[in-house]
Amino acid sequence: MTAIGETGWIGRSLERREDARLLTGRGEYLADVRVPDCLHLCFVRSDHAHAKIGEIRLAAALEMPGVVGAITGAELSTEMQGQKIPVLIPAFAANYRQYWPLAVDEVYWHGEPLAAIVADDKYAAEDAAAAAEVDYEPLPVVTDPEAALRDGAPRVYDDWDNNEIFATSYTGGFDPDQIAKNDAEVEALFAKADVVLKQRFHTQRCGVCPIETRGALAIWSEADGLTVHLTTQRPHIERLALADLLELSTAEVRVIAPRDQGGGFGVKAPFYREHVVVCHLARKLGRPVRWVETREEHLMTVSQERDQIHDLEIAANKEGRILALRNRGIGDVGDGRQGVYWGFVMPSLGSVMLPNAYDIGHADIKLRCAVTNKTCLSPSRSFGALPTRFALERGLDMLARRLGMETAALKRKNLVTEFPFTSVTGVHHDSGDYVRAWDALLERFDFAGFRAWQNEARTSGRYIGIGFACGAEFSGIPSDVLVPLENQPGYGVVTMRIDPRGKVAIFEGDAPQGQSHETTMAQVAADAFGIHPDDVSVRHGDTGTTPLSSGTIGARGASYTVAAIAEAASALKAKMARYMIHDHGLEGASADDFSFRDGAIIYEKDDNVRRDFAALADRIVMGSINVPPGEDPGLEHTAYFEAPKPMICFTAQAAKVEVDIETGQFTILDYATCEDVGTVINPIVVEGQVQGGVVQGMSNAMFEEFLYDEYGQQLTADFENYRLASAADVPTVTVGHSPTPCPDHPMGVRAVGEGRPGPVPGALANAICDALAPFGVEITTLPLKPEMILALIEAGRAGNGG
Amino acid sequence: MEKTITVTVNGTAYTRTVPLRLLLVDFIRDDCGLTGTHIGCTYEGRCGACTVQIGGRAHKSCMKLAVQADGKEVTTIEGLGSRDNLNRLQQAFSRYHALQCGFCTSGILMNAAEFLKENINPSEAEVRRALVGNLCRCTGYSHIVEAILAASAVRHGVKPVPPPAGTEPDR
Ligand code: FES
Ligand code: FES
Repeated sequence: MTAIGETGWIGRSLERREDARLLTGRGEYLADVRVPDCLHLCFVRSDHAHAKIGEIRLAAALEMPGVVGAITGAELSTEMQGQKIPVLIPAFAANYRQYWPLAVDEVYWHGEPLAAIVADDKYAAEDAAAAAEVDYEPLPVVTDPEAALRDGAPRVYDDWDNNEIFATSYTGGFDPDQIAKNDAEVEALFAKADVVLKQRFHTQRCGVCPIETRGALAIWSEADGLTVHLTTQRPHIERLALADLLELSTAEVRVIAPRDQGGGFGVKAPFYREHVVVCHLARKLGRPVRWVETREEHLMTVSQERDQIHDLEIAANKEGRILALRNRGIGDVGDGRQGVYWGFVMPSLGSVMLPNAYDIGHADIKLRCAVTNKTCLSPSRSFGALPTRFALERGLDMLARRLGMETAALKRKNLVTEFPFTSVTGVHHDSGDYVRAWDALLERFDFAGFRAWQNEARTSGRYIGIGFACGAEFSGIPSDVLVPLENQPGYGVVTMRIDPRGKVAIFEGDAPQGQSHETTMAQVAADAFGIHPDDVSVRHGDTGTTPLSSGTIGARGASYTVAAIAEAASALKAKMARYMIHDHGLEGASADDFSFRDGAIIYEKDDNVRRDFAALADRIVMGSINVPPGEDPGLEHTAYFEAPKPMICFTAQAAKVEVDIETGQFTILDYATCEDVGTVINPIVVEGQVQGGVVQGMSNAMFEEFLYDEYGQQLTADFENYRLASAADVPTVTVGHSPTPCPDHPMGVRAVGEGRPGPVPGALANAICDALAPFGVEITTLPLKPEMILALIEAGRAGNGG
Repeated sequence: MEKTITVTVNGTAYTRTVPLRLLLVDFIRDDCGLTGTHIGCTYEGRCGACTVQIGGRAHKSCMKLAVQADGKEVTTIEGLGSRDNLNRLQQAFSRYHALQCGFCTSGILMNAAEFLKENINPSEAEVRRALVGNLCRCTGYSHIVEAILAASAVRHGVKPVPPPAGTEPDR
């Protein structure tokens, strides 16, 4: 049988199938879906970060023109289940708190929804929401996670003993005695180490807010139940949760993730409380209800991640080999009430990922997560791992400086070289050649000649530096990890159907938001069948037509879903070959004797025996007589793919920056990565994924910061105050490759969607510190604001005696 | 407070009676049914997803009232090129993979189309500066900048849209 790759659609930068509609304004985003008689919903949100709710006066709002109805949390809580339901809870112990989608009695963060108003148009709904009057009785506000975890600290939740939502050790196993034994072993290694670095690192609250906000459009019909269009990365999980919460049969719930979604990056992966309110009101009022989130709501309620503190210790010998790590992390998870992740799953996975890519034999890694009066963390690309990556990559640079070593050499020396490798926290690294990728990156930066050049630049008053960082990121997440982590299956699945005209349709239960699935997945199927990608269609996101899967999360597209496509294609090709054997009387032939190319299936031993691909499809689907014994008619197959262990995608990244020592401003002169993405399906798509991820990391590192004042008031709910990088702020990112095929994937692909922002803050900060080495500058916090950098320069000058 | 206005959008005259406070972006999306113009920052004028051209100049349509466009000629993304006949900028965007989710794309195209009219041979830095009013969260801007530079090269007779360096374009 033909191997994948034979007809040559793999590895080509095809223009995307999505582009024609998106370039002409014919995309199909959530806000573009129109249904007649639709109501618009607007939330009334809390003005306080922590308060008892007194009276909510909606009478004036209800009398305004166009207003149809309103609901408060107190009413809603009598009409539906609380949000703590099994399908939304991870399979491990934590303080999962019951809550309702609209606040009942008490609000816990500035912006928490406490009532909803529906009206004939959105202007009327907004006016009415503004007219709602709420009495509050303010309560003490908790904003500092470290203080929140101290004994006797004021509590976010009155009925909890303290503010700890989750705490665990990631090393030494699960038994307390074993953990203590491991900790003692690590302590012994620290005691005899030549050098120990100990440093606190802090990453600010920021995230990856997509340009399209969230939204929902729910339609209720007595005949069919609930149909809801939702911005979501996981429509099937939403469906199960909505059915359970609204006490509907799953047969009555259909969730449709729009064909086009304006970015997600993790932000559209949790189960959000707003969605269920929209659905509930559509059913209650018997009219379609629509909510499109405003940017202000978005920045007040979601896209907030990263908020972690790490007290990291590294023990090493004189040669720069890492002997052991110790880390005490603190996650500020906000209110900790949000389906699927509950705020703490991100920092938790961040701690798991901390030692990735490096060969570190011993560690003692623990994390505590605190609830505070802020909105709950929601995931952002590099899920939980950007803070730990920043801590480790910065820490290793500081260690190298202490040892008088070149940091690039120290990191290279500690990279994983023998595979498969299991990290000290249990992360399986399947394969790769990290050192080769690292060396390719050094070469790209002409690092051999850099130091001389840097010194010369310094003599003319220019401060230029290079910084390095790397990451070993999940290429999809197997059930092995996802079932315990999120209580959801990790397999990839597609249904593939070939029609009598030889057109292939792929049905995918995930919901991409810009990742080019329609193109790259068509390339994979076209390659397998030897047909043109135009003859393959990809449909996704509709629970009415697609197989259940966990969603477009954790770089699952090119890893798990593409693998399922390859397997479905293999199964259907084998069936088509069996029909050929039967029809042509090729006794003794096997499926391997046929190749699929140029729109035909060809018997390799006698290429006169060939059938047009479409003709054979027609014969099997439509001509259901003389069916081979034991065969079914039809050409449809659902394939499941599961990798036994995580697959990993390595990235090495470097930045070259110039710092103005008078102002603390810096310019990124150059930024490059070297990727091991295995087999590349579409090179320009991969390049775009990497460039986009890197610039998100830059934007997080340089500008973005959600700020709360001492009263828990959110001060950064617009793009003026929460600043994203513009084109003028960043350079062109160059993407290099050093591929090794992934052995656990049928095509050798490694997926790149998730982890690219993670190493960026470390690389940038390391470059700045390298440039400012004469001042002994060591950055330990983000964002990289000029005033912070200037203060460090000045402190260094003072320390150097001016 | 309402007013009857006539706005010509992509060559079609739309006469509607609208509230004075109706934003132009909502007029375009809801009254004209042209949903290619997007809303990304809810009317703070920062993201640029709502950019259209009024009288040939790029404007953020969330920063204008519909009544301000009375009697004017508005061009939206739907008027820039057709599915079968993409203009050179749209072709370059596809060639260079300058869009991922596509949500920012309409606004960027409407802005860049005007920019290229005025800037015959822009440098990379000029293109980047011209894009400060358009946020993109997916692409990291590199491919967008390359596409705009390539489209400007087409004007200079380098035809068709040149392929991206280091890739093998197809179709
Ligand atoms: S919606 Fe107009 S600039 Fe963002
Ligand atoms: S392509 Fe998604 S925001 Fe630009």
